[in-house]
Amino acid sequence: MFKRVEKPIIFIIALVIAAMSYISIAGISYKTGDTKNTIIKGAQDIRFGIDIKGGVDVTFTPPAGTKVTKLQMDAAVQRLNSRLDGLKISDREIFPDYTADRIEVRFPWQSGVTTQDPETAIKELGSMSQLTFKDPDGGIILTGSDVQSATANVDTESTSSSGYRVDLVFTAAGTKKFATATTKYVGKTISIYMDDKLIESPTVNEAITEGKCYINSPGAPMTAAVANALADKINAGSLPFKLVTNNYSTISATLGQNALTVTVMAGLIAFLLICLFMILYYRLPGLIACVALCGHIAGTLLCISIPQFTLTLPGIAGIILSIGMGVDCNVITAERIKEELRVGKTLDGAIDAGFQRSFSAIFDGNITVIIVGALLWILGSGTVQSFGYTLIIGVIFNFIMGLTFSRLMLKSISKFSGVRKNWLFGGAAK
Amino acid sequence: MRADLNIDFIGKRKIFYTISICLIAIGVLVSILSGGVNLDIQFKGGAIIRYSYTGTIDKNAAQNIAKDTLKDAQVSTEFEESAATHKKTIVYNIDKSLTNEMQASLYTAVSKQFSGNQITKSDSSDVSASMGQEFLRKSILAVVLASLLIILYIWIRFRKIGGLPAGLTAFVALLHDVIMGYVAFAIMGIPLNDNFIAVTLTILGYSINDTIVVYDRVRENRRLYGSKMLFKDTVNKSINQSFARSINTTLVTFMAIAVLAVFSIVYNLTSVTSFALPMMVGVVTGCYSTICIAGPLWVTWETHKEKKALAEKQRQSLEKEQRRLKLEEARANKAKKSK
Repeated sequence: MFKRVEKPIIFIIALVIAAMSYISIAGISYKTGDTKNTIIKGAQDIRFGIDIKGGVDVTFTPPAGTKVTKLQMDAAVQRLNSRLDGLKISDREIFPDYTADRIEVRFPWQSGVTTQDPETAIKELGSMSQLTFKDPDGGIILTGSDVQSATANVDTESTSSSGYRVDLVFTAAGTKKFATATTKYVGKTISIYMDDKLIESPTVNEAITEGKCYINSPGAPMTAAVANALADKINAGSLPFKLVTNNYSTISATLGQNALTVTVMAGLIAFLLICLFMILYYRLPGLIACVALCGHIAGTLLCISIPQFTLTLPGIAGIILSIGMGVDCNVITAERIKEELRVGKTLDGAIDAGFQRSFSAIFDGNITVIIVGALLWILGSGTVQSFGYTLIIGVIFNFIMGLTFSRLMLKSISKFSGVRKNWLFGGAAK
Repeated sequence: MRADLNIDFIGKRKIFYTISICLIAIGVLVSILSGGVNLDIQFKGGAIIRYSYTGTIDKNAAQNIAKDTLKDAQVSTEFEESAATHKKTIVYNIDKSLTNEMQASLYTAVSKQFSGNQITKSDSSDVSASMGQEFLRKSILAVVLASLLIILYIWIRFRKIGGLPAGLTAFVALLHDVIMGYVAFAIMGIPLNDNFIAVTLTILGYSINDTIVVYDRVRENRRLYGSKMLFKDTVNKSINQSFARSINTTLVTFMAIAVLAVFSIVYNLTSVTSFALPMMVGVVTGCYSTICIAGPLWVTWETHKEKKALAEKQRQSLEKEQRRLKLEEARANKAKKSK
């Protein structure tokens, strides 16, 4: 591949990198009417972590000493998902850890949500939400698992015109239980609880056998919001075990947004400084290094935006670190070319020898960074994972841009007669 | 860089060892003086709660209201202000993890007490002690694993020029860098958190990169000059040849991180600062440890082997000489007798 590199190669590669850079920022999308269809997601569609968007990161465990089965863990995860749906939080991550009996939930604040109350959100998420029907003696007649569905509807009984109620449809088993209970307790009260909170204590008028009933509070009518929330809770189901909050961190959105702007600015300035240094010190190979660096960053951004991998602050730090380390390839090679020129090789010979001789050092060095990045990705949690990911991506693009493309570009541009001066490649000025 | 750079790095190794030992001693001293290893709540459990505010707040009042609300927890209060945005923050450091309700009641109490200061929740972090310990265990595991894998890799890649000493001396250099990373955290007063682990692992990867570049040169020079050149001189030459590259790459990476550090300090992004500053130190020690620690140690090892081999050779030729003399003596005696 490197034997006969022709002149046009440099333009082709430069064009490819320019295109990549543009797409990595703007993405590719088209509009049909009002909707925007995205083919390739760009930088604006990057999924940011909670330390940038603001949000909540909480770890739930069962109470100390409680053993839970994998089935129960899965059920809990499913319920949490449903609850997050109910809270309209679509961008979220749930990580169950079966060996340690833990569930980590992470979600950023939705843009436009005005009240960002982390404590309430966590409480809602983690509450058992156990619906119970109790008989007059306090015995449990049936629970939320006997409810097939719950819907909020207008309450025809309520005094106010805007009162709502929750209609319940029981499962087959639930219908039976309810029929038995209402037959037994005609004239007495059956209390309806959500967790420990009493919702209603209606008197049983007659046996109800069709498996339907409704929860309302005629005296103090429920609003649509309250009724909907209750229905959602019942539908999402109760948790198979009590969730104890073990760990949590919350970040407000404004803090996060600021952090993003600052780190992006830092990245840009770092990039400019590095380019300046490379061009001044290494001249032509330095210029090629800068072009390769553009490609490196563009590729990294695309690898983050397209798979919608969460990018956190450490992740951005990882990108900036990769920028510094990415240039290393080019530095090693440029120094080698300089040396070969000094020893007296021809320009072409020096370029070839420079790349060949420096390959083993570049290869070994980058493999070790992959080892570190992989360990961080596997063993790291939360924000540190993003760092491991960006390091590995950085190394891959090192190989692609810093080695292969740089070599192609340098060899190609060296074919132009106007450029064939040793001085431009680091040799002594004639 | 001049082509004929010829500094005797190996010869100056005693100076380098001394510098390293002094820095490590300072770090240990600082640790002891500040009451032991300073672990962040992520490792030892606890809570950090930040509220942003406007106007002025009396520190004692802020401390007291927290203490009263949280009753049996140790609280320490600090104020932070961002140099760029002038955003002011109260920081409560609490030694045990808080439940949801406690956090809520703290917020209610503080915002009531300072109702004119627009108290808003900025960010909070709460870790239970058991989770913290486990996270610490996992992190140490990651660091140990990374070190082992890296040593193994070097051993294999450099087996032709004595893989084991190469791997071990590289490991000592890595250990040196990790300790330096810790010293940086200790001197700057940053508690050890997950950033420390990220920094340590990054320094491991970065420092070994630098070490490999020099070792690769040694491998090449060994191939070119063989045992005609003393190992000491081979390594010296290799370091001098790759010096420009080491300095430039370190400089470039240092620049990148330094820009990040400056921005994060000015805008008070403490999580980024606690990563960037030690990283700057790590990048420098990564370069230093290769030239001044790994190189000289490997030379000492190999020189010891060389000396032994030389002594063995001399002993053998001495024996040969003695045998020859004895043979001659015997012949002379025989000649005398037959006369």
